[in-house]
Amino acid sequence: MLLKCISTFSFAVALTIGMFAGQAVAQEKAAAPTKPTVAKVCGNCHQPQPGTIRGNFDSVAYKTRSIQVKIDEATEILRFDDKLKIENVQALVDSPDQPLRSLKKGKEVRIDYTEKDGKKFATLVSAKTPIKVAPEKMVKTEDVEKLVAQGPEKGKYLLIDARPLPRFQEGGIPTAINIPFPAFEKMKDKLPADKAMLIIYYCAGVT
Amino acid sequence: MSPDSARRAEKLGYTNVKVYVDGTPEWVKRNYLVLSTQFLKEAWIDKDIPHVLLDVRAAKDAEAGFIKGAVSIAAADIEKSLAKFPPKDKKAPIMIYDQKGGDDAVKAAKALIAVGYAPVDIVSGGFDAWKAAGFPVQTGKLAETIVYVPKPRPGEMSIDDFAKIAKTTPADTLILDVRNRDEGNAGMIKGAKLVPDEEILDRFSEIPKDKKIVAHCSTGVRAEMAYHKLKEKGYNVQFLNAKVEINDKGEFKIEKP
Repeated sequence: MLLKCISTFSFAVALTIGMFAGQAVAQEKAAAPTKPTVAKVCGNCHQPQPGTIRGNFDSVAYKTRSIQVKIDEATEILRFDDKLKIENVQALVDSPDQPLRSLKKGKEVRIDYTEKDGKKFATLVSAKTPIKVAPEKMVKTEDVEKLVAQGPEKGKYLLIDARPLPRFQEGGIPTAINIPFPAFEKMKDKLPADKAMLIIYYCAGVT
Repeated sequence: MSPDSARRAEKLGYTNVKVYVDGTPEWVKRNYLVLSTQFLKEAWIDKDIPHVLLDVRAAKDAEAGFIKGAVSIAAADIEKSLAKFPPKDKKAPIMIYDQKGGDDAVKAAKALIAVGYAPVDIVSGGFDAWKAAGFPVQTGKLAETIVYVPKPRPGEMSIDDFAKIAKTTPADTLILDVRNRDEGNAGMIKGAKLVPDEEILDRFSEIPKDKKIVAHCSTGVRAEMAYHKLKEKGYNVQFLNAKVEINDKGEFKIEKP
């Protein structure tokens, strides 16, 4: 609601100053509502840069060649054409010409774009690739199932959910404690005294 | 975020750090999740996030005190009550509690997971923990029918409301068809105006500000994009998030995908 008020207000301001042609352009820019360009979840590792949006893919319409992307509460819509570069996206077999259709809603993406007359035009869509984990450091569902069945004392492990608290509140793996990644430093005391103890981290997976 | 956390733990000197890379999306295919009574209240009930809350105790035990909104299906009856549940592809989160967060809840959860429901959550400590936390308790008959309505997306108009507008074309409302010209030529809803979604940014002047705008396309995807563009310009706008088929007489069929 607040956002809406701000944007309406700024729009009015932009209109008013638009009448004083001369310096209007510069001022209009200053007064324009500043939409976020980096979603909070991406902001853990990435800084905002001009011409780049980082957020969660929402939908694509090939009929109008538009992509809709969520940056937290805000929504951005960008056009594209045949020259759009696409990275780290595997096209589905049934729509090989429309690779963006295979992106799942919510997938973290980086979009490079150019802007003209207030219209954003995407030049690159790059899906986030999973951070590489050495194979010997990975555990599978079966491993976690076995440990959880034993419990932390018998299984001698600490299972840590690295997702944000609201996600953990919605439900976590049994026996897990929540240490969101951004709170790592602050919650160091939750880690075991024994440095050799098995610690397993998980989050919402590779998708 | 888990690989980053693991790396930092190793920097602190931990020598046996692993990552469950597949994480919750894989876990919920074969297992239940757990949440505390406090989380059930704060993250789901108080926020009014759509979910299914199951009381799996015997009906007479549940009637003596239960959590508001719970539906009564005894653990032993889950398998024969599957028809009561929303279709699996709705991915309705299912929260289960019993008296103490014990075998009944686990049994019910396993029965649902076995037939493909996910995510299924068990409330730790069950009803006893809820009561001990001092959270509100209801008594009497519990609902027996599961009602699960997914939260609409911002700006989404219900199919019923849209159909009403499309049939009566009220003077204060404009139906905006944002499909392309070929689709529009094949048939449009009576009274609708065609402005293909990709042209909206150039044609604001043709879209009246003093009317309520209701955008539709053929699936809801372009209509939602149009909604955001118009919303940003201060329009009073909603969109239809559904499949629409329109014939050359302007007769239409709307389906929720």
